[in-house]
Amino acid sequence: MRKYLSIIMTVVLLTALLAGCSNAPDSGGSGDSDVYKFAVFAPITGNYAEYGKGFEVATQMAADEINAEGGIDGKEIVLEVFDTKGDPKESADISRRVTENDEYLAVIGDFSSSNAMANAPILGEAGIVQLSPTASHTDYAGMNEYMFSIMGRQDGEAPFFSTYLLQKYAGAEDVGVIYINNDWGKSAYDNFMLQTEKDGLNVVSEENYVEGEKDFTSLLTKVRDSNPDTLALIMHANDVALIANQVNQLGWDVNLTALGPGTSMQIIELAGENVERLLLSTPFFITEENEEAWAWSEEFKSRAGFEPTVHPAVAYDTVYLLKAAIENIEGDVTRDAVREELQNLDGFVGLTGPIKFNESGDITRKYLIMEIEDGKFIQKTEFDYVD
Amino acid sequence: MDYYLMQLVNGLSQGAIYALMAIGYATIVGVVGMVTFTHGEVIMIGAYAAFYAFSFFAENLFLGIITSFAASWLLGIVIYKVCYERFFDSPRHIPLICTIGFSMLIKNLAQIVFGPNMKAMPQPIDLGFINVLGVRINTIQILIIVIVISLSTILYIVNSKTRWGIQLRAVSQDKKASALMGINVQRTTMIGNCIGCGLGGVAGMLLAIYYQSILPTMGGVLGLKSFISSVLGGLTNIPAAALGGILIGVTENLGTAFLSNSYRDVFAFVFLVLVLIIKPEGISKKVGGRP
Repeated sequence: MRKYLSIIMTVVLLTALLAGCSNAPDSGGSGDSDVYKFAVFAPITGNYAEYGKGFEVATQMAADEINAEGGIDGKEIVLEVFDTKGDPKESADISRRVTENDEYLAVIGDFSSSNAMANAPILGEAGIVQLSPTASHTDYAGMNEYMFSIMGRQDGEAPFFSTYLLQKYAGAEDVGVIYINNDWGKSAYDNFMLQTEKDGLNVVSEENYVEGEKDFTSLLTKVRDSNPDTLALIMHANDVALIANQVNQLGWDVNLTALGPGTSMQIIELAGENVERLLLSTPFFITEENEEAWAWSEEFKSRAGFEPTVHPAVAYDTVYLLKAAIENIEGDVTRDAVREELQNLDGFVGLTGPIKFNESGDITRKYLIMEIEDGKFIQKTEFDYVD
Repeated sequence: MDYYLMQLVNGLSQGAIYALMAIGYATIVGVVGMVTFTHGEVIMIGAYAAFYAFSFFAENLFLGIITSFAASWLLGIVIYKVCYERFFDSPRHIPLICTIGFSMLIKNLAQIVFGPNMKAMPQPIDLGFINVLGVRINTIQILIIVIVISLSTILYIVNSKTRWGIQLRAVSQDKKASALMGINVQRTTMIGNCIGCGLGGVAGMLLAIYYQSILPTMGGVLGLKSFISSVLGGLTNIPAAALGGILIGVTENLGTAFLSNSYRDVFAFVFLVLVLIIKPEGISKKVGGRP
């Protein structure tokens, strides 16, 4: 009896382990070269699951469209999704597995700067491109020549946030800053603080927390004691919602602004009325006037079940970027050739606008100011607000 | 001054939830005689049970308490059958490893069944504020403290006055002697385990209400916090475990008040290490049971 039980337990434990693994299909086969295979690194589970799901759906959408039109020079695109769980340890392990397999031509991902930076030395040494849709840490793309990012860097968005969103638009005077203590958050915070010093904006308190924090009550009580009129939240959607809810629980009337989450519906779903009038910046927003983008957004919604933010849109563009780069290759399509042509790519216009890489492998973007009104994101400024 | 009082209140309400988790934990360890690593997942299941009760039936607090308690009680039966029942005479590491594996299974199943996204928790009570000595306390904090105190009192009465409670205490002191006295040790152990799980489930519901959100992976840190709270109290001593939970909650919040929120867990664990160096048996006087 005990023997059977131990067998059952082994099965149970194995199921538990497998349940956490990626459920990517075994497609493509080994060694055949009639497909182009890309590895997609995305946080399918964990704290950033919303963004990970967006990556998976958006990249597959792009691949399906390209394949329907005959692929790249007659070869199909195959994507294999790896769940990196928003954990740098996990993604570094996956990176090693991917570099050992010659099938993968390039890596799309990872979502967070921490993960992308943990992968950078491994993928760079193996000479495989990591094209991150979203990593915006200032150091990331420069880590080696195989690293690319198309989100725009924090030294672009954070100064915009300070000068234009907080001061010019919101008229904030005393600001309390709360940021997530990871690679991205620290980089965004540093760039933000540099700009506030230049602008002479009064920062009355600076607090940070580590990933996975749920209880912000004591932190908020502390920030409240310094009496700011506006809170600048440098973090992602879930944490913005948690903080908005707990600000309400404290009965505190303060203006909220957020740098980082993009126009994520998750914020509104989790915090409802508590995020009314929240201001945030985004490099990209889809309105009904832009028909092509609107159609894309509708298609995305029907596949994913939620509204797209900027994150799936840039993920969608990465597949087309790789397609454009591969089409420019004269001769054998190798990992190195992909890197070469990606770097030299000129005149590419994606869903999120024109993309041309600078020397270190990232791009400069412009930003919009958004506000939440009646449970919806409303665009408040145009791209020329800076001028 | 008000500021520190406010932080103390924050610490107390969080500590009260830790206390409820720790009471459940200490009950389990006392009766079963082995540590468990599934408690975090039990807490998570309790929270989800209340979430679905609120979403599909009514946003009624008592309904929430009953469903979360019942769901975690049922999970307690499964945990007992899988992880403990056949291993009482085996080496101790076998049930221990078994609880770790089982907690992974539940966590991953929960991600598949409930979805990996964070969800908003419906609020069964309206938010209001009461001023006490210049400190604003909100109704959720009061609710938490009231529920935790009532449940602890009920547990105390069950434990000290009823036949069940006497059996539970007898089993936690000596399984063989209890069996000789005619107590059904297997059944009593299972009930004890289930009571502990049920209390954990209610704590999960309270946490979800307090943070207004719910996540399948929320259990990990919480299981650890309930473990250290009860270690602080001497592992099986229930009132001391409750005190341990409150102390951990207050330490974390005051630590945040004086230093940085990023070191929250550091405060909790350094505090634990200090207490264990100075008083290795925990804050309680007697070492109860044989964990």
